[in-house]
Amino acid sequence: MNQLHPEIHRILQNIEKVIAGKQEVAKLTLVALLAEGHVLLEDVPGVGKTMMVRALAKSMSAELRRIQFTPDLLPSDIMGVSIYNPRDMDFQFHPGPIMGNIILADEINRTSPKTQSALLESMEENSITVDGVTHVLEKPFFVMATQNPIDYEGTYPLPEAQLDRFLLKMKMGYPTLEEEIDVLKRAQAVPPIEDLQPVVSLPELRQLQLGIKNVYVDESVRRYIAELSAATRSHKNVFLGVSPRGSIALMKASQALAFMHNRDYVLPDDVQYLAPFVFAHRIILKPESRFEGIHTENVIEQLIGLISVPVQRHVAKYE
Amino acid sequence: MNQQRAKWTIDSFLLYVLSFFLLWEWLRPVEQLAGINWIGLFLGFIGGSLLLAFLGVPRPVSVVLKGAYILFCIQFIHYGSFSGMMNLFLSHIIENIELILKGQWAELSNSIRTLLFFSLLWITVYLIHYWLMTRRNILFFFFATIVFITILDTFSPYSAHTAIIRSVVIGFAMMGLLALRRLTNAETILKQNRIKLKWMVSLAVFVAGSAAIAFAAPKANPIWPNPVPFMESLGGSGNTLTDETGGSGFRSDDSELGGPFLPDTAVVFTAEVEEEHYWKVDTRDEYTGKGWVSSRSDEQPLTFRRHVPPSLFSFTDEVPSEERTSIVHNEANYGHIQYPHGLERIEAASSYQYALNKGTDKITAFNEDEQGAPVSYSVQYKHPSFQSEELQNSSSEEAVRPFQGIANRYTQLPENIPPEIKELALDITEGQETWFDKAKAIESYFSSSGFTYEQVDVPVPSEDEDYVAQFLFDTKRGYCDNFSTSMAVMLRTLDIPARWVKGYTEGTYLETTESGKQLYQITSENAHSWVEVYFPDIGWVPFEPTQGFTNADVPELEETPQTPVNEQTPENTETPAETPEQPAAEEPTQAEESLGEDSTEAAEVTTESFLKTNGKLIAFIAGAVLFLTALCYRYRRKWLPFYYIFMFKQKKEDHYFPEAYLVLLAQLDRSGLKRKTGQTLSEYAKEIDTRFSSSIMSHLTAHYEQYLYRDRLPKDTWNLVKNEWESLMKKTPS
Repeated sequence: MNQLHPEIHRILQNIEKVIAGKQEVAKLTLVALLAEGHVLLEDVPGVGKTMMVRALAKSMSAELRRIQFTPDLLPSDIMGVSIYNPRDMDFQFHPGPIMGNIILADEINRTSPKTQSALLESMEENSITVDGVTHVLEKPFFVMATQNPIDYEGTYPLPEAQLDRFLLKMKMGYPTLEEEIDVLKRAQAVPPIEDLQPVVSLPELRQLQLGIKNVYVDESVRRYIAELSAATRSHKNVFLGVSPRGSIALMKASQALAFMHNRDYVLPDDVQYLAPFVFAHRIILKPESRFEGIHTENVIEQLIGLISVPVQRHVAKYE
Repeated sequence: MNQQRAKWTIDSFLLYVLSFFLLWEWLRPVEQLAGINWIGLFLGFIGGSLLLAFLGVPRPVSVVLKGAYILFCIQFIHYGSFSGMMNLFLSHIIENIELILKGQWAELSNSIRTLLFFSLLWITVYLIHYWLMTRRNILFFFFATIVFITILDTFSPYSAHTAIIRSVVIGFAMMGLLALRRLTNAETILKQNRIKLKWMVSLAVFVAGSAAIAFAAPKANPIWPNPVPFMESLGGSGNTLTDETGGSGFRSDDSELGGPFLPDTAVVFTAEVEEEHYWKVDTRDEYTGKGWVSSRSDEQPLTFRRHVPPSLFSFTDEVPSEERTSIVHNEANYGHIQYPHGLERIEAASSYQYALNKGTDKITAFNEDEQGAPVSYSVQYKHPSFQSEELQNSSSEEAVRPFQGIANRYTQLPENIPPEIKELALDITEGQETWFDKAKAIESYFSSSGFTYEQVDVPVPSEDEDYVAQFLFDTKRGYCDNFSTSMAVMLRTLDIPARWVKGYTEGTYLETTESGKQLYQITSENAHSWVEVYFPDIGWVPFEPTQGFTNADVPELEETPQTPVNEQTPENTETPAETPEQPAAEEPTQAEESLGEDSTEAAEVTTESFLKTNGKLIAFIAGAVLFLTALCYRYRRKWLPFYYIFMFKQKKEDHYFPEAYLVLLAQLDRSGLKRKTGQTLSEYAKEIDTRFSSSIMSHLTAHYEQYLYRDRLPKDTWNLVKNEWESLMKKTPS
């Protein structure tokens, strides 16, 4: 594709320094960050999730708050707590780790639904309420949640409705052989993460986020997105299709991707590229289809091949 | 089990029901033409087999059931009891297998024929099941049904009048349902019943709507002549002398009227006339309920030379008339003399004598005891001009009395004549006082009231049906025999003496001879029948009830100048020499109507002669044009790019760029580089560029994408990329 936006390019280069390969995951993470969405990473431990988020945070000189979710974690452990200060004769609010810019919510499915929903609510509303006082979260606010798909024992799987809160869901995947050799080589040297220099400031990042809204989405592309998500609802293998919120998410993500590519308009290519990441966790398959080994990704792929891409204007404008 | 249940959907049920009806359309003509009595049993077999197929009954069970049914039917039709059948049937089968092996098809026994027919039905039902469920396509069978029906309609007495409508409706409904099936199968998206229901309802509306429109829409008359007589004449069977079968040409036995009138174009005679007129051959006085016979045909014929004896009475001398002569040249020799109304003298070679049959007014000629009319003869006759005033005066009770003999003979009717005919006649003539007015009223009744002129699709009345009643109340379509017989019978129910006259119309005008006479050609097609009414003190007056025909001798009603009989037949309109006596009162609309009804004849004549002379040339030109068009179409991807390059060369404005890009897309598509439905333009462009090892397509696409998805077309885009576009267009044909 075209050249990348210079600032984005710098961030990606920074991340590249820290972890081998995984450019696509880094790029998608940035898409979510720019679109003011959040990411759910689903993968086994040890493939570099934390490292990537740390590199990302460091590149924009933001503080990374990490919350390790455990079964006994309470909502107040995330949001903060008001403690009585005898000196001031008053309750003083001690902000929790959520009051940061970049949050890594590790193994989110290990904690109780109550705590999960506290996090997810704050993600949705961009604010938290403790003891009747509402605290607006600082922007940019970005949550990267991870969950381990292998170890299901003692977990509370996120309800499908709450998965909707994540703009993108993706897998990190194992590195290729060459990449792994590279990883080993880097592990011998000084961890490069320590040397990483910030390349954008938070206000600059905020500016980039605001710029996304100006990316033009043509009527035909909007229609294409709508047709795609409508098609998920009537697919024979699908029990529950994509909601209109999913369509909005796809459009926003496409805008962010177009922006990253230095384009001020969205192409159907953007939509097609992002559809699996945006839609996959918003579709519930029928149990029998699941048993047949069909994945939501297969369904989306099939639909992309089926829905015709707009290549012609219905009304000629230059006449 | 799940699959099994999925099959029992309403649409597949409908499909089976429809295929049953479509198969029925095959059996209907078989029933009528082959005279199979037990058609219900065969229908039962088809229905049962389709039901078994629909229910998905396992094959062994259905085979046993069908086999038992067939055996039962054969027993029922041919043997009567099972025990008797078992022995006989087996031996029959063995005998017949021998016959089949020897190829002696005609000797097969009926039970075996039934068995074979059942097997044929079995195979057909299986095929239909296969087409419906596996192929999901019935077009072939539907097409075969239509072809089957139309062929039978053309070449056999079977009338597919309604069958064609039924088959088309059924066929379209089936194809629509199968299209739904294919869609649900291919897309896998529409599985909801609501969509199916919507589809079916709209399908039903479409099929019903289009069938209704097609049924109600006016239909053009056939532009091709009926091929049957043409082919028969090609086959050499067009010898009209011996042709007594069917309704073709002129026939002498009229006791059983009805059935299709199959005219051929064989020339019977040509005539030089001063003024066009009808040609009489025969009259009939006794109506049997089925047709006409002569009550006195066995009387001794009256022989004469030249001067016609007074027994051949046309009209009295009081009728003002004009002496005229016509010359006849016989082409086909029937042995009789065709003569005009008011015949006085026949002139031919002196050796000829003539015999007048007093019962039928038929004149036969013989020459030294050898039958056969002279090749050429002239007839002298009085051309009457009947005065409507006189005619109206001539029906008073007193005037009739002296002619009681004639009145009795020509008002005869069979005893079982349906009373409705008289009621209708009274109805039509209500308010008319005189015979002439009544006759005129009946004569004009036929030109409206829903009657149509039809030569082919005319049924024969069934055993207990009256020929006239069938035409008047049931079919309302027919040719001259129907019209004239009906008029004569209706007049007779009113006690007005009337007789049925057979002969020829004036024919087709050919040219004007040197002697100033008009030359007409009379073919078998011109065979005609009409009515003569007896008026006391005046004589026999002709009437013409048949739609679209005109007899110049028919007197006019003066009060109502536009009686429909005044219309001219299309043959007449072709003649340049319009007779001054031809009534000028012509209603254009009526004339048009009659043209429409009768144009078959005219069309037959013109298209046939035109095709005969120019047929080869037309066929050659049409073929060449078709071939060239096909060639151009086939190789369009070779020349179309250059056409477009030329078209777009002059275009300067930027807004031609998107158009040009789309043209390029279409051209690439024609070249076999098809863009997949879900493929984006840039992916496609990459594919094209790899193919042509360039980067032009990507470049063009980037511009087009900006236009399409950004709504931005920078100035001079088209001029910038024009050359690239052109070079790519030039590459596509290879």
